[in-house]
Amino acid sequence: MNKIAYSAFIAFVASLLTLVSVNALSESERDDRDDAGLESITLAELAEHDSAESCWKAIHGRVYDITEYVPNHPTEEEVLLEWCGRESTEGWDNKRPGVPHSPRAEAMLERYLIGRLVDDTGEPLEPGPGEPTGAMPERQAEAMSPAQDERLARALLGLPLDGHYRGVFTDRGSIQVNITFDLRDGHIESLAYRYLAYRGVDYLALEEGDELYPVMLQHRQIAERLEGAPITRIFALYEPASLVDDIDGYSGATLRGAKVISAIRDALNRGVYAWP
Amino acid sequence: MRRLPRPGDSALIVVLLLPLAVALPRLGGLGGPPELWLTWVGRVTGILGLAMMLLAGLVSCRVPGFDRPFGGLARLWRLHHWLGFAAFILVMVHILALGLAAVPASLDAAVATLFPPPSQAAIWLGWLAWVAMVVFLAPTFDFFGKPHYQRWKRLHLVSAVALLLGLWHALLLAGEAWPWWLLGIAGLGAIAWRKGVAPQRRHPYRIEQVVPLARGVVELVLRPEESGIRHEVGQFVYLTPLDERLAAGRGEEHPYTIASAPSDSRLRIGIKDLGDASRALQTVTPETRVLIEGPYGEFFERRFPQRDMLWLGGGIGITPFVAGARNLGAGSVPDGHVHLFYLANSPDRAYYQEEFCEIAERIEGFDYTQHYYRDRGPLTEAFLREHCPDFVEREIYLCGPPGMNAYLQRLLIEQGIPVSRIHSEVFDFL
Repeated sequence: MNKIAYSAFIAFVASLLTLVSVNALSESERDDRDDAGLESITLAELAEHDSAESCWKAIHGRVYDITEYVPNHPTEEEVLLEWCGRESTEGWDNKRPGVPHSPRAEAMLERYLIGRLVDDTGEPLEPGPGEPTGAMPERQAEAMSPAQDERLARALLGLPLDGHYRGVFTDRGSIQVNITFDLRDGHIESLAYRYLAYRGVDYLALEEGDELYPVMLQHRQIAERLEGAPITRIFALYEPASLVDDIDGYSGATLRGAKVISAIRDALNRGVYAWP
Repeated sequence: MRRLPRPGDSALIVVLLLPLAVALPRLGGLGGPPELWLTWVGRVTGILGLAMMLLAGLVSCRVPGFDRPFGGLARLWRLHHWLGFAAFILVMVHILALGLAAVPASLDAAVATLFPPPSQAAIWLGWLAWVAMVVFLAPTFDFFGKPHYQRWKRLHLVSAVALLLGLWHALLLAGEAWPWWLLGIAGLGAIAWRKGVAPQRRHPYRIEQVVPLARGVVELVLRPEESGIRHEVGQFVYLTPLDERLAAGRGEEHPYTIASAPSDSRLRIGIKDLGDASRALQTVTPETRVLIEGPYGEFFERRFPQRDMLWLGGGIGITPFVAGARNLGAGSVPDGHVHLFYLANSPDRAYYQEEFCEIAERIEGFDYTQHYYRDRGPLTEAFLREHCPDFVEREIYLCGPPGMNAYLQRLLIEQGIPVSRIHSEVFDFL
């Protein structure tokens, strides 16, 4: 037994060393592709590919066409499709809250690389991993998640007008969230749900004691917490924990702050529904 | 005759498979491309490896009586050893499989899976656990030669650190945490009991008499200071002498077989000078204190209670049979007839002979035969048959030096006696 243990130990250490050294020696051949050589893709182009038929995602400044991979992803398809056609770094870095995707997943992702994300003037929206960042130390130090960056949020929204708004989030042909609110000086007021449903369950009709009642409460909490907040605050919903007291057990599967964001943005895109 | 698995073994297997059973639904299947089945193998070996580590910790608790469902402490220690060995191998398969599973993606990914950025603490906790494991298992498996016993024992305590780190690693990554809490508390609790609580609960005895039996062999007669222990025939205890004049082994615990009958108000222990500590005990001062922990073992376990018994004892291995004979002498009724063969080199080494003769004369169900190696060479089948014609039909108990044990096992098995009918307890785990 002692000899087997010793041999296994030596074989194990040798295998590890081989793996590491082979990797180190072959490193020079496989540098990351240079971002400058990648096709430029704007947010508008990205937004066109927002479904299972064609799903593009922007992650850390690069755009990936993961359409082929969608059926192979271990979690429910819907979770994955939610992020199609938009900036998805947040979802990528939070497979579970605070847990990023594995290095293996990262390597697989690179197979689907099709371009880099640029703004309307053609400037990259986020420095890619291959781009030297030493020249802009302050920018690197300030790099924060899109959920917190108010200036980025304002730029993305283009400062909406004050008034009464209505918007919806629909998926696969049915409405899930229908929301209404007023904007005053860029702040949300009287936010309410006109309709809230998922998989045939009408959440607004739920009563205390129903299994999904806590989810309805969470949505109410969202409405309460957003009352009087600047419109840019809606991006905090990408991290529901920052707005809702108890997200345990619901954060991943049921409560989707992103749907509420989507409905609010839909309202803003439609423009003012009625003047105040 | 097919025997049922021992209850302890069955329970151990259930607990061992619990974390795997809970996690299995979310691990997917074993099929598919290499990266998928390697991931599956990596996770399953990780789960089993940690569960085995924690159970190895659990079975090391040495609570008196806990060893019985496992067939005695000697067997439980062997189980402990095997669990530790299997865990060590499985943990390395776990690491390699998960690393290799990322190779189809890229070599970079494989290396990054095993050596991720420092922010991924869960992986690095796993590595620390592995390092701790190597530290305490390397001397166990004699990687660098045989270590000194007491030093090995101290190093083996690093296992608690390894368990703690391994558990932390699993809790950060596991889907369901409760099986790990359960096993973790059991494993670490057992170590805490062994090292923290158990030493406080030893039974104090006084050495009433040191009876010299032969050169290098004494029998200690111990008087309990409080209630003392209750034991069965064939069991052993851990004895810690406190005599300050001892040349070696003061405060160290070592196992010795009990030679007294359970009804005896004194605890008698036969000790041969096989090591530093037992040599020093030959001249231990009477009326000094010793601490006793136990009893352990199940030497006289009956698997075939309807059969007569054959006892074969030699050297200091005669002690469990001394206890057995004294028990019969004290009026205990045996299950069937007992025939004892005392294998000694020469009359001066047959130090319990007179007592056996006396009991055999008095007790009807007990026969006694003396065999001298110097006169007759090794025990033969013919000698056995001459004195005990039905020996192949009996349930056989043997205890003696390792060479004698191996020789007798071979001799008996050649007579067509099934292994299940031969009992022997070897203390080679010390």
